[in-house]
Order: sequence, then C-alpha cells, then structure tokens
Amino acid sequence: MVVSLESTGNTSVEPSADAELHRRLVYGDESALAEAYRAYGALVKAVAVRVTHSPGAAEDVAQEVFAQLWSRPYAFDADRGTLRTWLSVLAHRRAVDWVRSEARHRKDARADDDALHTIPDAAPGPDEAVVDRERSLLLHSALAELPQPQREVVHLAYFAGRTYRQAAVELGIPEGTAKTRLRTALRTLAESLADPPDPAWGQGA
Amino acid sequence: MTEHDDVRDLLAAWAFGALDPSEDKTVRRHLAECETCGTEAESLKRTISLLDGPPSTTAPSAPAPEDGVLSAARRTRRPATPHVAAHATPYAAAVAGLRALLPEAEARWSTPVVHDWDVHATLAHLLAADEPLAARLGIAPRVPPSRTAAPTPPAPWQEAWNRRTAHVIDHEYGRTPQESAADWSAQADELLATDEARDPERAARAAELMGMRLPIADHFLVRAFETWIHTDDIGRALGLSVPPPPEAHLRQLIRLAVRVLGLALGPTAPPVLFEVTGGDRWVLGSDAEPVRAELALEPVDFCLLVGGRYPPDEIPRSASGDEDAVRNVLERAASLSWL
Repeated sequence: MVVSLESTGNTSVEPSADAELHRRLVYGDESALAEAYRAYGALVKAVAVRVTHSPGAAEDVAQEVFAQLWSRPYAFDADRGTLRTWLSVLAHRRAVDWVRSEARHRKDARADDDALHTIPDAAPGPDEAVVDRERSLLLHSALAELPQPQREVVHLAYFAGRTYRQAAVELGIPEGTAKTRLRTALRTLAESLADPPDPAWGQGA
Repeated sequence: MTEHDDVRDLLAAWAFGALDPSEDKTVRRHLAECETCGTEAESLKRTISLLDGPPSTTAPSAPAPEDGVLSAARRTRRPATPHVAAHATPYAAAVAGLRALLPEAEARWSTPVVHDWDVHATLAHLLAADEPLAARLGIAPRVPPSRTAAPTPPAPWQEAWNRRTAHVIDHEYGRTPQESAADWSAQADELLATDEARDPERAARAAELMGMRLPIADHFLVRAFETWIHTDDIGRALGLSVPPPPEAHLRQLIRLAVRVLGLALGPTAPPVLFEVTGGDRWVLGSDAEPVRAELALEPVDFCLLVGGRYPPDEIPRSASGDEDAVRNVLERAASLSWL
C-alpha cells in the first residue's frame, strides 16, 4: 500500500554546472552540446587561431573538439578539472597537431621543389617568418607537455584572458601558487627554445 | 618585500598579460626605473611574442555560423537519441548512456564487473534481459533459443531468466565484444522503434514479464532502470563515475520502484513515512494505523538499494521512530533485488 503525499520541494545539493552538463552529454541530450558550444566555442576557436593563425584550421579544430566531447563524453572527468580548461587543452593539442602536419607538408613540398630544380639557386637564408613559425611550434609543443597544474594556469591566463588571481579562484589554489606556476611554466617554455630537441635522437644514433 | 621583489615576483604573470590594472601599472612604473627588471621583462616578453607566432597574414574571419561546427560535431560517431513518448525516454537515455561508456571499455572487456561477469558478459546479460519485453513487442531474439528442453512443470521465472542469461553469455563469448555490443544496441533500437515506445495508449496495456504484471510503459522504465544500474556497474569496474540519470528520469524510476515496493510490503506492514530527498513522500504499508516511523533516502541510494547494489544496513539514511518498521522497509526494498 502506497499513499502519495505532497512533494517536499527540491533540497538536494546543486551539482556543479560542469557535472550537470556532463550528465546531459552522457545521456545523449543534444541541447547540452549546443550549450557547451555557446559557452566555450569562442574560447576553443581563439586557442586554435592563436596556434594555427588560420581561421579555417581553427574551425576544423573546433569541430574535432566538440565532436570528441559529444562522442566520448567520458574522456572529460569533472572531478579532475573544469570543462573550460579541458576543452582549451584539447583544442591546443589538436591545433599543435595541425601545425605539425602542416609543417611536414611544407617540407615535403620544398623537397619536391628541390628535386625538380637540378641547378639550385644561390641558397637563400631561411625566411625569418619560417624560423618564427618553427619557434612558435616548439614553444607550443612545450606548452602542451607542461605538467597539468602549470598547463591549467597558462591556459586560463594566456588563452582565456584571466588574471592570475581569477585563475587562482577558478582552480581553487592560492594566488601565490598561480603566480609561481606561471613563472615556472614560462621558464620551461624559454628553455625549450634554448635547447631544442636534437633531431638525431629520433634516429637511434 | 620591497617593490622590486614584488615586481620580480609578478613579471611572468605580467608577460602573460595576467595582471589586474593596478598591478600592471605598478610593474610598468618599476620597469621604467629598474634596469635588472627591465632586461628580464624583455626576455620574458620575447618568449611570449614567439609563442604568439608571426602576425597572421589572413584577415580575421567572419564568425562562421554556429551550426557548421555543431552539426558536424553531432553527426560524429553517435546515433541520435530517438524521439519516443515520455514513458520510454528514460530507456532511450539509458541506452545512450551505455553507448557513451562502451568506447572506454575497448581493450578492457574482460574487467570483472558484477557476479562473475566481465564487461562482455554484462552486455550479454543486458541483451538477454531486454528479450522478454522485445518478445512481447514482437521482436525476434538475436540469440537462438536454448536447445535444452523446457522443464516440466514450468520453472519459476527467475530460473528461466537465469538460464537464458547463462545461455546468452555462453553464446556471446563465442563472438567479439563489439559484435555483442552491436547486437545489444540494435535490439535496443528496435525496442525504441516500436509503436509501444511512441504511443502512450498502446503502452498502457498490461503485460506480465519477469514476474511483474505492469503496463508496458512501466516495463520500459524497468529496462531503463536495469540498463542504468549495469552501466553504473561497468563504470565502477572501469574506474569511471557514471552520472545518475537526468533528474526527471530518476523521479520516474523512483515512483515506479516505490509502487513495486508498496506492493511487496503489502497492506498490513507497519506504516512508514518514506521520503526520497528533494522529491515525493509516501506512506508505505498499512493505511489503517498511525505512521510508526519516518525514513528518508537520497534518490540514487534508494535506486541502488532496490537494484540490490546497497546492503540495507549500510545505506545512508535519516530515520526516526520504530526501528523495526524502518528495517522492514529497507530489507524488503533490498530483497526486490530488482535486477
């Protein structure tokens, strides 16, 4: 025997917005994907543009990132960070991949050109823009490899435009820690330029 | 700390553009005066500008229509959740939820889950567990019927159900987990494509399945319940936390579970005022005497209890009044061991 009484009203603990969005993504609610895109689409594209310098590539990256969120919602774990940084980090990694493969294509194209021109021109010094592009890629590769705690602060400060204080609040860490992580991260990035990985290493010399 | 030390401490954040205006002003003022800091700041800024890369040669893009990115993302590797009537949406969502989890099980199919099942066997069990409703709705079984002769007299439903699960698990072990997953998924799609999933009137007809005579609509809820509980089992086994079903679905599952619990307690059990936190309240048991006790459980905990996933003496509760009456409700709920 069951007698229904009136509802007591909603007293359950409010789950975090990210966890709630994740819950809806998991259960196939397409409006949750649209919501995530409205909230973070601009950030994801901004990250991708800063790395690729190509709006078209940024669109492709954004598409991949949100496709990943939709098809593999369990790749994001709300207990281990915010959706904002997760998407930002994913966009960055995909954008770095794009630049790498782009650089490979360019090199291949150059090699083809060289093969065609049997009489080489007076070898021009490497174009400054090319050097800058390579350095930028080195730095972004290093950024992608930073330990997660540093990477998060860098993403919030550099890509999401947060002050270190805002980043500290968002990550639930002391302001001093956020500052220190930015300093350590920037030093690591600078070192990656001073000491680029030796291409010979990869050949098992 | 002197201003000099303060500023040195802030230089990296400054280079990243991560200072608030007042700090930024302090830093700039100091940099104009202090050569040491100026040099360091320049070198930090240089790294950041290299990170920025060469200035873009392409014009800034017009913002692309949102739908380009979104619709492309939506089309990817995940079937759309079918549109069904309210009684079947929790099942549709639970199916989507298990589908979302399965990619995480790749290469880990033999992880132990519950009973003596691994992930693969748990899927096979679900394939078998969806069969009675599928059969009732005219969907042919995907696994051939067991060869062993039906016992005489007919066995109780639990026995037949256990035997069928064992048979289907055996059968599926002869195939790849991906094939089993595809079959479970296809059968679920067929269930969701029936008229009974879309039309509340047709789902209002009663059917006795697995020992329970309920409207077809409620049998869809039972499928949602079991699918979610096993998804949760698999998630635990893989170390992933599976979120509870959407709030509205959870309430539907709870209302059904309370109804079944009420039937199991019968009309003479000592009455208990039962509350699911944040939701409805019911009096369980006899309505001929005053309430003996009050009991409140969290929604998910109550579902896990009814699903046989929580020992009745360990479940977090808030209770007052006659302890025996409370224990009676908890033990009866656990003994439903619905799944």
